[in-house]
Amino acid sequence: MSTPALTGVPRRRWGRRGTLFRWREPAFWLFSVIVVLSAIVSWLQQQVFQQLSPGGWALSWGLLLVYGLPLFLAIYFLDLYEREPISLVLGALVWGAVAATVLSGIANEGWGLVVSRLGGPAFAATWTAALTAPFVEETLKALGVVLIYLIARDEMDDMMDGFVYGAMCGLGFAIVEDVFYFIAIFGGSPGGVLAGFYVRVVSSGLYGHVLYTGLAGIGIAYFVTRRGEVSTTRRFLVAFGLFAAAVAGHFLWNSPLLNFFPTRVEDVGDWLAIPLAAAIKGLPLLLFVVVIVRLAHRRERFWLESALSSEVGTPALSAAELQVLLEPRTRRRSRREMRRRAGETAARLLKRLQREQVNLAMVRARTYVDDAPELVRQRELCRSLRGALLAMPGAASAASETAVPG
Amino acid sequence: MSAVEPIPLPAAPPRDRRWFPVVGVAALIVAVVSGGYLVADALGEPAAGTIDVGEAVRVTPQPGWELVERFQSPVGIRLTNGSGNLDVATTPFTGTDIDLLVDYVESVLEPDAKQLQVSGDVEAVPVGSGLTGARIAYVGLFGDVQAPIEGTVTATVSPTGSGVVFDGWAPQGQLRFAADDIEAMIRSTEIA
Repeated sequence: MSTPALTGVPRRRWGRRGTLFRWREPAFWLFSVIVVLSAIVSWLQQQVFQQLSPGGWALSWGLLLVYGLPLFLAIYFLDLYEREPISLVLGALVWGAVAATVLSGIANEGWGLVVSRLGGPAFAATWTAALTAPFVEETLKALGVVLIYLIARDEMDDMMDGFVYGAMCGLGFAIVEDVFYFIAIFGGSPGGVLAGFYVRVVSSGLYGHVLYTGLAGIGIAYFVTRRGEVSTTRRFLVAFGLFAAAVAGHFLWNSPLLNFFPTRVEDVGDWLAIPLAAAIKGLPLLLFVVVIVRLAHRRERFWLESALSSEVGTPALSAAELQVLLEPRTRRRSRREMRRRAGETAARLLKRLQREQVNLAMVRARTYVDDAPELVRQRELCRSLRGALLAMPGAASAASETAVPG
Repeated sequence: MSAVEPIPLPAAPPRDRRWFPVVGVAALIVAVVSGGYLVADALGEPAAGTIDVGEAVRVTPQPGWELVERFQSPVGIRLTNGSGNLDVATTPFTGTDIDLLVDYVESVLEPDAKQLQVSGDVEAVPVGSGLTGARIAYVGLFGDVQAPIEGTVTATVSPTGSGVVFDGWAPQGQLRFAADDIEAMIRSTEIA
């Protein structure tokens, strides 16, 4: 066996499953104290809303769960090759929902005073929302992603990880903020809540906090995962640039600039104008984030291919299997085919084999020698999983379709 | 099989250094959350900025409050901070503060209310420009909004015959969060 062809490929720290609950990490305790204290404040606020309008409050949460759950899953599964530990993902969500919202509420008011005192009430009335919330809220949400990183440094491996943690933080923030808007601004009646849902979720749901913090998260991940590859200055500039883009998007949304929202909603035309007005403010940033995420995906694929190229031909991985691994759609199709021909258990075993082959890439990237014990063990695991799979009735016949060498 | 020389990895950072970034994050959170209040204190009193209501009344919004609407009959404005609201209206008036109060309740609040409960006691309170006013509290259901609204109406009549009504209101339970600001705006209003 030759020396792995990974010269020049920076080493990644993939492959260890982590948890939020790392008692020995100082960052965990800072995270916990802030979340617990702000949760008390947040709970009291929700109780006020619930007393104000029990039906509207319940409807708000019901609607937001209908919106939030699919979005949660979409963000979670966006990381195609290595899903993040669920406790860390939920930690990011809770930070956004509880800590960032409560702290932002306090901070926005303070910085609002500054705007008012510098610009006067008339200026403040127009510009406070644009000059406070984008800076305050984006900073506090991004610090949640930084804390998640500090708690579990080994879990942030690439830019997609940063996007996932950031977007989850933004999703939590958006949901709690929407409840506030539905009750306090849209009146809390069922009609008001539905109107609020139409304005803030149906019309504008694609453009808000999920995008902003997702972008900031990519920047944080770039900064912490590209050590040794690019200069500190460049890492800082990229991270700062993405954070600034998030703030700028939020600023535009909150500012009176490009504001084509109808001042009164009286007929169908006004209702239809709302999503169009929202698109004018939000679509450019959405497209920017889509491009960035696609680039991050491409980079993930490149990493997987680089890391596994030296393993092709070993008992752990065939060339055909690598091609299947690189295409998430093909992976899913191969499992469907296996399920059809050999049953659910075989499909699950194939899924496990594919996951362990992805883990093989992570182990490969961590080690510098061909016969490192961890690498040998991982190869053997893949080989034995394949053996067990092919021994199942019907699985061998599916081998050609599923790229499992018989 | 050939093996490359293991590249010596850098020594793990001393355990205590894990505190440095955490302290940095904590400091940044404190700076963001409290910084606005400290800077605002350092800047001193708010810059002068007022909103004219007709020709006789000038209102200074508190920080975070914005003008969202102007009314024509009677001449007035609506300020809001999101959850709390203050309507300020002015009209020529020759009666007393209490007459103006009753007139406002009968001609503005009652017609729009599905349910309305007004406090029996009328309170005398100071308002802007050294005047005093009469105040009542109310709670009710208005328009299409299902959540109860609670509010206070303060009415005053200036020696020049300008009647001014301040209606501070919010969804029930939230008026207390806006009450200080509303009170400050009523007391700082200039009435000719």
